[in-house]
Amino acid sequence: MMSRHWSAWLQATPLACVLGVFLLLPMVVLVVVSFYDYDSVQVIPAFVLTNYQEALGSAVTWRIYVNTLRYTLIVWAITVTLGFGVAYVLAFEIRNRTAQTMLFLVCTVPFLTSNIIRMISWIPFLGREGLLNTALQRAGLIDVPLEFLLFSDFAVILAYVHLYTLFMITPIFNAMMRIDRGLIEAAIDGGARFRQVISQVILPLCKPGIAIGSIFVVTMVMGDFITVRFMSGGQSASVGLMISNQISLLQYPAACANAVILLAVVLMMIAAITRIIDIRKEL
Amino acid sequence: MRGARLPWRRWALLAFLGLFILFLYGPTITILVLSFQGPDGGLTFPMNGVSVVWFERLFEKQAVGDFAGSLTRSFSLAIMVTLATVLIAVTAGFAFRRRFPGSDLLFTLTVASLVIPSILVSLGIGLLFNQAGLDPTWYGSAFGAQLTWTLPFGLLIMFAVFNRFNPAWEEAANDLGASPWQRVRHVVLPIVTPSVIGIALFGFTLSYDEFARTLLTAGSDNTLPLEIFGMTTNVTTPVLYALGTVTTLFSFLLIGLTLLALRVIVRTRR
Amino acid sequence: MRMPGKATMGLGRRGLLAAAGVAAGSGAITGFPTIWAQNIKNVTLRQFGTGVSNLNAIADKVKADLGFTLSMTALDSDAVTQKAVTQPKSFDIADIEYWICKKVYPTGTLQPMEVKRIKYFDKIVPTFTSGRLTPTTPIAQGTAPHTVSFVDSPTAKTFAAGQTGWMTLIPTIYNADTLGIRPDLVGRPITHWKDLMDPAFKGKASILNIPSIGIMDAAMVMESMGRIKYADKGNMTKPEIDKTIGFLIEAKKAGQFRAFWKTFDESVNLMAAGEVIIQSMWSPAVAAVRSKGIPCVYQPLAEGYRAWGGGLGIARHLSGLERDAAYEYINWYLSGWVGAYLNRQGYYSAVLETSKQHMSADEWGFWMEGKPAKADILSPEGKVMEKAGAVRDGGSFQERMGAVACWNSVMTEDRYMVQKWNEFIAA
Repeated sequence: MMSRHWSAWLQATPLACVLGVFLLLPMVVLVVVSFYDYDSVQVIPAFVLTNYQEALGSAVTWRIYVNTLRYTLIVWAITVTLGFGVAYVLAFEIRNRTAQTMLFLVCTVPFLTSNIIRMISWIPFLGREGLLNTALQRAGLIDVPLEFLLFSDFAVILAYVHLYTLFMITPIFNAMMRIDRGLIEAAIDGGARFRQVISQVILPLCKPGIAIGSIFVVTMVMGDFITVRFMSGGQSASVGLMISNQISLLQYPAACANAVILLAVVLMMIAAITRIIDIRKEL
Repeated sequence: MRGARLPWRRWALLAFLGLFILFLYGPTITILVLSFQGPDGGLTFPMNGVSVVWFERLFEKQAVGDFAGSLTRSFSLAIMVTLATVLIAVTAGFAFRRRFPGSDLLFTLTVASLVIPSILVSLGIGLLFNQAGLDPTWYGSAFGAQLTWTLPFGLLIMFAVFNRFNPAWEEAANDLGASPWQRVRHVVLPIVTPSVIGIALFGFTLSYDEFARTLLTAGSDNTLPLEIFGMTTNVTTPVLYALGTVTTLFSFLLIGLTLLALRVIVRTRR
Repeated sequence: MRMPGKATMGLGRRGLLAAAGVAAGSGAITGFPTIWAQNIKNVTLRQFGTGVSNLNAIADKVKADLGFTLSMTALDSDAVTQKAVTQPKSFDIADIEYWICKKVYPTGTLQPMEVKRIKYFDKIVPTFTSGRLTPTTPIAQGTAPHTVSFVDSPTAKTFAAGQTGWMTLIPTIYNADTLGIRPDLVGRPITHWKDLMDPAFKGKASILNIPSIGIMDAAMVMESMGRIKYADKGNMTKPEIDKTIGFLIEAKKAGQFRAFWKTFDESVNLMAAGEVIIQSMWSPAVAAVRSKGIPCVYQPLAEGYRAWGGGLGIARHLSGLERDAAYEYINWYLSGWVGAYLNRQGYYSAVLETSKQHMSADEWGFWMEGKPAKADILSPEGKVMEKAGAVRDGGSFQERMGAVACWNSVMTEDRYMVQKWNEFIAA
């Protein structure tokens, strides 16, 4: 009995060590420092609750959380729809195995170019004198350039969708590939319509994939700071941006307190998702 | 469902996929076009002439920053992360085939590692090293920080593999008198190999482009994404776009090679 | 990692200048290198700072003149502050701004430099030592460099009231900032800071999103509009902060701003792409826009300039040979070649006398004395920046640096100010 555990423990040790040192310990440090005091230059070891009081007592924090959650929700809704659609086409409409693999890989290539470069390149596309506005103006569709395209919530969400949809496609595609084709044939033979096949056969079987994709997207949007900064032109705030601002201003304890709050929020959201679906079994 | 019965729907769906790919490549195309910007052109439209000068500059030394150095570092780091991820994730994957005391805890920790926003991990590790009086380096702290991001991916892929793994194959091998090592070598590993390539590809990509987790943990030398970010404090030139174009081409090459490798594996196994 | 043979990448003029620099640097004029142990060649000094002054050309020249290696890391200004405080062993030389110094120095990651080892100390522009450019110039508000330049002893963590024998930062680069405009698009003369808030520029204005700097721009605007009279812009009281931020939020909600910028590059792109036609800007950023063939003016204003400055500091852990090398580097930095290089980009250097020796009379006249250029003015890379006959916006060094109204600053109420600033960004 014991010897079997021993080999499992041995095999799990490297993982446990890495996570222990580079995840658990740092999180402990975050929590400890969140109770420290600070002035404009340094962190003072202490046990104070002011960081939490300031964070939770300020209307700004709440507004920023609402804004971040709003981004998360919108981006989630769009990526899940897009992701499901794309995965569906890839999995069921492309019948040739090689074409399937190729198309899937084609979807992943842009992700190898630096996020920052890809983000910056939206700017010349969406700008006041950018490609899109120029094209629309030349086509005579608009007289004045559309300003909402850049440095706006629209731009932020567009960039998120662009950056993160793949993280939704992959697990859903993976789940779809596991669906027994006979099941679908049977449903069609039984007289099910397209919509019914989707909603009653494919969708339920894709739930685990959707859950995993959702976990990725939710986490990444909740913690993002760079996309919001670039695409909103500094006009909008997110929780991650607030934390990164505090870090840059050396207000580490305040940043840590916010980090702990964010951590709690994200973990709760993820717990809620995993409540619905046991990822481990469903992979 | 059948294309023959409802061709318009099939066409609509394929068009949808096409549009999505266009959307995905929109910025890539912008980058491609702008990387041929004239010598006096900037990062935005309008084009100021056409030239390949930015590709030449890419391989020269910049006014600020050090592409060659940071590229080398990012590449080495990505290779290190890939190897470590494959090794650790595959080994841990084996451990998780059975329940063992602490397996739930470790699994929860792994999922947590995936979902904790990068900036928090970065901040935590930065502070930890600072408190411990250690120097953060790209091959130390940043390496660890990136592993907290790539390992969960690797492990999840291993789970997916083993969940679909039919124990009957192993039992059959057992019945035929294979030793435990032979069982792993001749039955398990061949089935796992394609996924291992997947893990490696994931590990490489995630590491190569990692920004937030590296930000506060890289120490004195920049990785490529940090370098690009740092360069925006001075006049950035379309060299950035040239880099993007080269990266995309390189990615196509990498994927082509991977496909080739997979094909070779499949063929040798036949 | 470094590419050999690229030391004189910019050909033509710069090659000539570099050659002149070698002649000058190798002892003829400045006396470098001094008696060097051979092992100095093995020394590597790691410097970090923003892309503004972490130029590879400087590292190449150090290798050529002094023999040791200077490795440069360019970061954005946030990362610079973080690194200086949290990774004290990851660097040897910190290239930071004075307001950052006010935050960083008390954390003890830097060591002060002995004034008597700084060869050109007496020739440093007095703004950095006494706060007055000339004996009659008023001391500007905000974190003026001289207030954070000196400490009483190597162990002191608080700044000294006046000059002492220990210096925290050696000034390297500084400038006076004002509004940059697109003359082709604003359609009227711009004369005051308040013009930034003109409803005519709704959705086409921008300011800096670095709290310590942005708040000063806002303060200049507020005073110009007559909305408030600060006792000290550089050290606002809480009600003053509330009022200033309240005003910014109002303007933001009314749609006055197109975006906020944080890096040099963003400011250039906003202007070049026509997203913004009026914004607070750095002089070289204006030059960068112009070099793309887009008209852009660095507009002097009635209320004066908001100034900033950066300097080099030595890491606390440095000692022995490496510290000697650091001193040698700093003395070399002030000896003229770098100064001329920075002046040619539109910044100002700390020791004018030595920089002048490395610039042509025409260059000096254009950049420093506000005279019309006799020939085309070239950038350090050899690109034409200004055609013959051009006059620099804002005039001479004296006119610009003598009209500084305030410096970027860290206030007593810094923590409160930053909270309010975040409120503005989130609004």
